[in-house]
Amino acid sequence: MNALRVPFAIASARLFAERKALLYACAAAAIAGFVQRGARLEGPLFFCSLLGIVVALIQGPGRHRYLDVCEQSAPLFGRQLARGKALAACVAVTLACVAYCGAMLAGGASLSIAIFGIALAGSLATTLVALSATIRSGAARALYVLLAVATSAGAFALAIQPGWRASVAALAFCVATGFIALRQYGEALARFDPAAES
Amino acid sequence: MLRASLHRTASHVQLRMREALFAGEGAEPVGPISLDLRDAERLTLSFATNREASVAAMLAAAIVKPTAGSVLVNGFDSRIQPAACKRVAGYVPHDPLPLTRARFWELIAYRADLWAIDPKRARTLSEDLLARLAGIHEAFAYPLAAALVTSPQFLVLDRPQPSFEATIGAVAVGCAILTTRVSS
Repeated sequence: MNALRVPFAIASARLFAERKALLYACAAAAIAGFVQRGARLEGPLFFCSLLGIVVALIQGPGRHRYLDVCEQSAPLFGRQLARGKALAACVAVTLACVAYCGAMLAGGASLSIAIFGIALAGSLATTLVALSATIRSGAARALYVLLAVATSAGAFALAIQPGWRASVAALAFCVATGFIALRQYGEALARFDPAAES
Repeated sequence: MLRASLHRTASHVQLRMREALFAGEGAEPVGPISLDLRDAERLTLSFATNREASVAAMLAAAIVKPTAGSVLVNGFDSRIQPAACKRVAGYVPHDPLPLTRARFWELIAYRADLWAIDPKRARTLSEDLLARLAGIHEAFAYPLAAALVTSPQFLVLDRPQPSFEATIGAVAVGCAILTTRVSS
């Protein structure tokens, strides 16, 4: 139970602290989904990926100092902190993606399971890549944001190929990229020095 | 028997810093610092700047790792086992945390989750600590109570208000305390 207690505690604390941003993200996704016409992947994938990058960037240190101080002084491994923060960002992006696709359906657009699945997987992988930008600055931060954009572009490029295998390849690409990104984020958090900022 | 005996001997020194130095990019290095802090001992370190005092406090609390030298907290090396070091160390930052009463209870519940302690016990203990910290402004009392609620064996106070030191000492009974200060 303790293995789950820490990530859930971090995720719920972060989501509660950013509840307004979460609400705005879902509202923006719902509006964008409502005005979309046709069952196209670009809208939900790129819009939710953009929201994922924003949600990931606000997980960085400085916005909620009392949470930062608590987490930095807590007896946690980098991977535990990474899982908690990633869970918060992934829950936010999942809710935004559900809001987007739900609004698409409400607006009369058709939606397939494949489009929803790839949009969700692509935006989650993009979010996980963007998380590594939060603990870097300058060119390194910009590079990770570009990598996150490239992740959603890569998922899209794979998914638009003809045949069902393209969708499977896009999903596999997202799962592999997201897994590697989460591992990398945990390693980076373990090495992160708050004093380097001061 | 041998292991128990060795552990007891090592835990006698809560904090051991040997030539501990932190060198950040583009900033003056902090240190080298060498000290031993034993059970229930109190020690004050003076520094020339706020940054040096802040970094030294974070070095002692295992929040940052030394670039050179070593920091041992209760026998654990902060470079290799930072999580084990943080379990026994309490850290109180210099800047006050602007928390409401409701947000403070959320923080206590959060700390209980992160330190894997009973939330009800943490709440009861923090109520008791706040009662004993009466007279200290809430912005300073809240982070101190939050640090003490995890029952640390030693406490790092980063540039505390000098007028609160007597009260802090009375509340943190049995805790070794390391205080940083700016000499000017």
